[in-house]
Amino acid sequence: MNPMLNTPNANSAGAALFASQDVAGRRKRPVLTVNGLIVSFNGVAVLQGVDLAVDKGEAIGIVGESGCGKSVTWRAVLGLLPKSAKVMGEARLDGFNLVGAKSSVLDRVRGGRIAMIFQDPASALNPVHRIGAQISEALFLHRGLTGAAARAAARRLLDQVGIPDAQSRLNAYPHELSGGQNQRVMIAIALAGEPELLVADEPTTALDATVQAQILLLLKDIQRDTGMGLVMISHDLAAVAAVCDRVCVMYAGRLVEEAPTPTLLNTPQHPYTRDLIGAIPPSDGPRVRLTAIPGAPPHRVLPSGCAYAPRCRSADGACAMTRPDMRAISAKHVVRCIRVADGACQ
Amino acid sequence: MTLLQLEKVSRRYPIGNTVFGSRKSLTAVDQVSLEVKKGQTTGVVGESGCGKSTTGRLALGLEQADSGHVLFEGKELAASGTREWRLRRQRMQLVYQDTLAALDRRMTVGDLIAEPLVIHEIGDRPSRRQRVLDLLQAVGLGEHHRALYPHQLSGGQRQRVVLARALAPSPSLLVCDEPVSALDVSVQAQIVNLLVDLQQDLGLGILFISHDLRVVRHVSDRIVVMYLGQVVEDGRADAVIDQPLHPYTQALVSAMPRLPGGFDHYLPLPGEPPSPTERPSGCPFHPRCDRAKDICRQTPPELLTLGPERRVACHLVSNP
Repeated sequence: MNPMLNTPNANSAGAALFASQDVAGRRKRPVLTVNGLIVSFNGVAVLQGVDLAVDKGEAIGIVGESGCGKSVTWRAVLGLLPKSAKVMGEARLDGFNLVGAKSSVLDRVRGGRIAMIFQDPASALNPVHRIGAQISEALFLHRGLTGAAARAAARRLLDQVGIPDAQSRLNAYPHELSGGQNQRVMIAIALAGEPELLVADEPTTALDATVQAQILLLLKDIQRDTGMGLVMISHDLAAVAAVCDRVCVMYAGRLVEEAPTPTLLNTPQHPYTRDLIGAIPPSDGPRVRLTAIPGAPPHRVLPSGCAYAPRCRSADGACAMTRPDMRAISAKHVVRCIRVADGACQ
Repeated sequence: MTLLQLEKVSRRYPIGNTVFGSRKSLTAVDQVSLEVKKGQTTGVVGESGCGKSTTGRLALGLEQADSGHVLFEGKELAASGTREWRLRRQRMQLVYQDTLAALDRRMTVGDLIAEPLVIHEIGDRPSRRQRVLDLLQAVGLGEHHRALYPHQLSGGQRQRVVLARALAPSPSLLVCDEPVSALDVSVQAQIVNLLVDLQQDLGLGILFISHDLRVVRHVSDRIVVMYLGQVVEDGRADAVIDQPLHPYTQALVSAMPRLPGGFDHYLPLPGEPPSPTERPSGCPFHPRCDRAKDICRQTPPELLTLGPERRVACHLVSNP
């Protein structure tokens, strides 16, 4: 039985949120469990029911084309969506449902237990404050540190994220640092609250190739050293696969396949996953023609059957009629395609 | 046959305070030589600020070189804006990243594609109309797209319109500056396949500028690697990617996550590219190079020819 498909037990009280509590029946203790998350804007559903769990100390990747709901999922979990968004379902942090939680509770969760970094560090940092002050602010909010203690902790964080000469860099403004260094500062701020889960939304898309590798490996090292969970959202499957233990593929507001990284790369089952892998130019070996996925993801109105059927090269009549469920094909490998269960896709 | 040739082309921009006479300059492109052959693709890779886009603009005559020569179809390119330049510009076209900026949002797709034909006075109304239909078909769009406006199209469709528009005056050279960087992988694959097909059908020469080594390797016959305005290595695409000689190329190739394999081959490269205003002495790469020797700090390396199709600028390769 696939653990992802289990629905959680009774809702726990709000107090449980800040106490450590074990949820029974899991392979490991998941930090966060998302169940049937549905998000709609003005009646248009953008998330159609997302189920996933992040274990303690695990790095998971979320991939898919733009508009498939990768970012919306995590913004919904953290309550970062605009008021026009309608969010249903649950996102449980130690049994406590974050969806619809009071903002006073969410303020303690955001940054304290789940931190998030974004694509463009230059717009996430305040240009008129020194970076030392910005890191200290997070240290004060989440750990109550002030004065010399905060400054020392800020310096240690800058060391941890690999900024040379941390002591003098505390006095720098964001514009004095490069894009890669600003992203390191963002990571330092995210680490200030000693979160159990770090959500990185396209953390390296705006960076140069050599800097991208530095930041990705830094995130991986920090995740290993601190034992926090890491969620990496990216359109770049190669980057995600290099960092994450497990990869979730999203399409049109749903997960369509989820597996440990080597399994997903070696034996992808969903046609969409296979097409995504085929669309990436190989980094070595002979040049083969790329898989171009025809058309575009569905917009506003979903097809009645499988959402990928109109673009899928192995779709048949049944695919257009039946909306597939998530099926487990091995212990940790789940896929949403009716033809996989029929044995039609190999 | 050589279609485009850049010979030791340099471009400097004045910076700093000019009122009090202290005029410094920034060398964006420094003695760059490269060529594009008919029907082939030359890829230019490098990180931001390495001068790859300026090189593309120099090739088209959109920037005037301070020194060196730009030869297109065997003849020196005339100064931009002149009648002669305009005449030859229809044979060389530019495709770049931001399609919304490239397309006038108040014109329909049909008018956008026909515009270069009007500017260059090619054909009459009925023949232009037919040409637009042919071009739409060539880039994988349909007749019904003709009446649409750019905002009604997806990013991939807009890039197809930009391509159709570039192909309208039957160019022999396309300069593609990050043509697929803003697109999703699936759409990126569509456009890359389309470019490869069009090149085969039309015998286009392409100067393909991108920071994405994967895509450049996929489309290019030759690859030129730039760092701080200089060519540090060039050669056949497979040779440059599979057996990189310059330490920078080696680092760049290793920073590309492999599928599968990730960063198993990663060679740590400290720091970030320095700003072109603070060019280091000697080899521009030496502050980030862990094998740098005294000579690297003092003397800029020459671009050494290692074979008929291989050049590299590194002291460690020229005198190990």
